[in-house]
Formats: sequence, structure tokens, C-alpha cells
Amino acid sequence: MGFGLRWSGTRVFLTTEIRVQLHEWLAIVTGTLTPGALLIFVAVLAPGLLPITLIGALVYSMFLIGQRVLNEAAYIRIDHKLNELYHASPLSPEGYFVGIAGGMLLAYLPPSLLIFAILEILHPLSFFAVVALAACLLAVWAISSTIGYVVSTAFKDMKAIWAYSALLTNVFGVLPPVFYPFSKVPLEWRSVVLVLPTSATAVLVDAAAGLETVTPIQGVLAAVSLAVEATALFAFGIYWARRTARER
Amino acid sequence: MATDAELRSLPQRGRVLPAWAFIGWRWVWRSPAAAVVPLLQPFFFLYFLSMITDSRLFPLQVAGAMLFSTQNIGSWCLSDSAVFRIELRLQDIFVASPHDKLRYLFGVAFSNLIAALPAILLLGVILGMVTPVPLVGWLFLTAAILTIWILYSAIGIAVSSRLRSQREVWPVGNLIFTLLGILSPLYYPISFLPPVWREFARILPATYAALLVQGALGFASASSEDLALDAALLVVSTVVGLIVAWSLYRWRES
Repeated sequence: MGFGLRWSGTRVFLTTEIRVQLHEWLAIVTGTLTPGALLIFVAVLAPGLLPITLIGALVYSMFLIGQRVLNEAAYIRIDHKLNELYHASPLSPEGYFVGIAGGMLLAYLPPSLLIFAILEILHPLSFFAVVALAACLLAVWAISSTIGYVVSTAFKDMKAIWAYSALLTNVFGVLPPVFYPFSKVPLEWRSVVLVLPTSATAVLVDAAAGLETVTPIQGVLAAVSLAVEATALFAFGIYWARRTARER
Repeated sequence: MATDAELRSLPQRGRVLPAWAFIGWRWVWRSPAAAVVPLLQPFFFLYFLSMITDSRLFPLQVAGAMLFSTQNIGSWCLSDSAVFRIELRLQDIFVASPHDKLRYLFGVAFSNLIAALPAILLLGVILGMVTPVPLVGWLFLTAAILTIWILYSAIGIAVSSRLRSQREVWPVGNLIFTLLGILSPLYYPISFLPPVWREFARILPATYAALLVQGALGFASASSEDLALDAALLVVSTVVGLIVAWSLYRWRES
């Protein structure tokens, strides 16, 4: 196989994953509940922050797709033992990883589009802000899918997963300034949150939408961190998929 | 017949609760994240709320986090009993054993309370540090927590008994417990809610638990009559919830 990529079966597996996920409409609907809860808290307690929180909800929803990848990959491997079948088939490991990640992205897109529509009503975005939003959300998807897939390979028991999944979503989605403004973060912590993919995305999109002011250095730090992390982690995800592709 | 006689000779009561407590403890011990995450989760949320709200609401939010953490036990009970029944097929053994369905329900709830207890106790310590809590306030808080624990655990296990696949656990649990958590005014006074939502929230037992605790701790003005009414409504809504959960709860092999 060398360093080249093999993509056999990707399209079929991607379509299968989309169909599997679309059959579980309840999971898709309930995936919006946590960002929905935070949106409601903001609407009740600080309605002025709603546009920032809506952008945060989009970022969080995209990060949550990675957690769905974690659950799905673990479920296929541990509960259904299906990945033994997949790995014995012509489906390539790269296709398996990208198929799960891409399937989740497409199946879970409708709730995000709804949040985007609400955002457009409350705070219409410029073309530049929409492009920034789309690019940054794709980077978050690449990062969270890789984290989800890599972490899923470490489990032998479905019951242990939820704790790690909850920890990841809270550390990346609730603690950093995703749902609240970057300006509320103490000065000494600002560099740290700018290298976290979720808060970097929220800061960049908030700034592009005119909701936050960031210095050029902060903007560059957030953009470079996000681009490097997305590229490096997604490449690692493909490497990891190859490395862990075996019947077990 | 001989089997029945043998079964009757075995201990029928008294040993089950420590066994379930041990299950809860072993789960925490074997999975460090399972011990840490429930402990951290309310604090993540409190941190977020502290970023968007007035700091004067913090003591109320700590008390709300104690109720929210207790309510979340229902979600864990749902997940646990689904794993026991669907994946491990353990419920078949319990059904065939002298362990009746009430003890099973209570045991699963108790084992999950063990995992949630560190977070609830730590929040209690913080509450005592940020605001003076009278003895009667602690009593009301404890009573509200125990009531919510029993009710939401019963709901979790009852709903779980109707699930057919492990895949349904996350969405169904998320739907029920996140919605219930949002709708009740656990983290702010009920007066903050829009009128229609306020009336809807009054259907939920956790709302009365929150009103009772907020009144007893002095976070909201409440006369002793108000407190008595909230307590009565908490009991009535809990009893109604338990009846519904009991009728939904399916106890059978597989």
C-alpha cells in the first residue's frame, strides 16, 4: 500500500452510513438538545448574547459529530462486530474512517442548517463571514472526527464510552468561549483558547461577523492553529485507520 | 417444586442493597473517567453560567446543580439497565432469581447514586461556603434530592425497559433528561421564564423541587404556606410520575 491512499468502497460505505444515520432521526433531533439547552439559558439569562451563542451552537454541533463518530465506530466494532466484516471486505481503512466521518457530517447537517437560518434572521452574515463559517466548521469536523475515531479504538466496553465522550464535549465545547464572548476570557488565558479548535473557530467567525474584536495577531494565531490542527489530525486519522485495521 | 423450595431457603432480602452499592463503586473504580466526569459536569455548566449571568445568582445555581446532578442519575439508570438487559443479558438472571423488580429498580438507582454522590456532596460544600444555609434548608434540600433521585431513576429504568437496541439509549436518554433539565427552572428563578413556559414548567416535579429549595434557602421570597404548597405539589407530581413509570416498566426475560 505504501504511502498512497486507497479509497475503495468509500462511496458505498459513505452512502450506507448516511442511510443508517437517517434511519435514526431521533438521534439527529436529540443531537441538537445540548446546544439547544445552552441557547435557551442564554435566551433567558443574557438575550444580548444570542448571535454569539448561535455561532457557538453551530461550532458545538460540528464538534458533536466527532462524538457521534466515536459512538458509531465503537458500536460497529464492539457491539455488532461488523468491522471484522468490513476489514475482510474490499473496503479500505481510509474509506472506513472517511465514510463514517462523512456520513455523520451529511446526516447531521439539517439541524445545523436550521441553527444557521435562525442566525441569519437574528444577525445576517456577510458573504465573507459565511465563507469563514463554512471553512472553520469543516476544520472542526475534521478534528473532532479524528479525535472521535482514534478514541473509539481504545475501548473494549460500550458502557465506558459516555464518560469520555461527555468529557471531550465539555472540555472543547462548554469551557472555552464557544457559547460566550472571547472578551470574557481572562487575558492570561486568551492565547490558550485561541489554539483550541472550537474556541478558535468561534472567535474567528464572531470576528468575521462583527460580533467580536480581535487583534491581527490573535486572528492569525487562531487561523493558523485551526488549519494546522485540522490538516495534521485528519492525516493522523487516516494513518490510524490503516494501523488499526484488523479483525478483532 | 424442589427448585421453588430451594429458592425460598435462600436469603430473600437484606443483602441486595450492599451488592448494588458495590456494583456502583466497582464501576467508578474501574473507569476513572466515569468517576471524574459526573463530578466535573455540573461545574462545567456552572462555569458557563457564571460567564453569562449575574454573580449574585451563583448560590442559587449551585443548589440547582445539585438537583440537576440528581436528575441526571435517571439518565445513567436508563443506560445501565439497558446495558444489563440488552448487552449483558443480566436481567434474564435477575428475573429468574428471587430478586424482584422493585429491588432491581431500587438497586440500579442506588448503584448510580453512589457514582453521583461525590459531585452532590462537593456541591453541598460549595453551597455552604457561598451562602449561609440553615438546618431546615439542608433538610429541604436533602428531601428534594431524594425525591428527584427516586422519581428520575424510576423514569430512566422504566423507559429503558422499552428500548430494543443499545443505539436507542443515547438519543432517548438525551431527549428525556435534557428536555426535563431545560424546562425546569433549576438554574434561575422561575420569574425569569416567559409566562407560557412558566406554566408548562409547573407540570414538572423538578420545578417544585427547585421552588422548594430556592424558597427554603432564601433565594426567592416564599412564605411557609408557599413552601408547604410546593412540597405537596412535589410529592403529588412525584407520585403521579412513579405511577406512570411503574406502568411503563417491563420486567421480563430478554
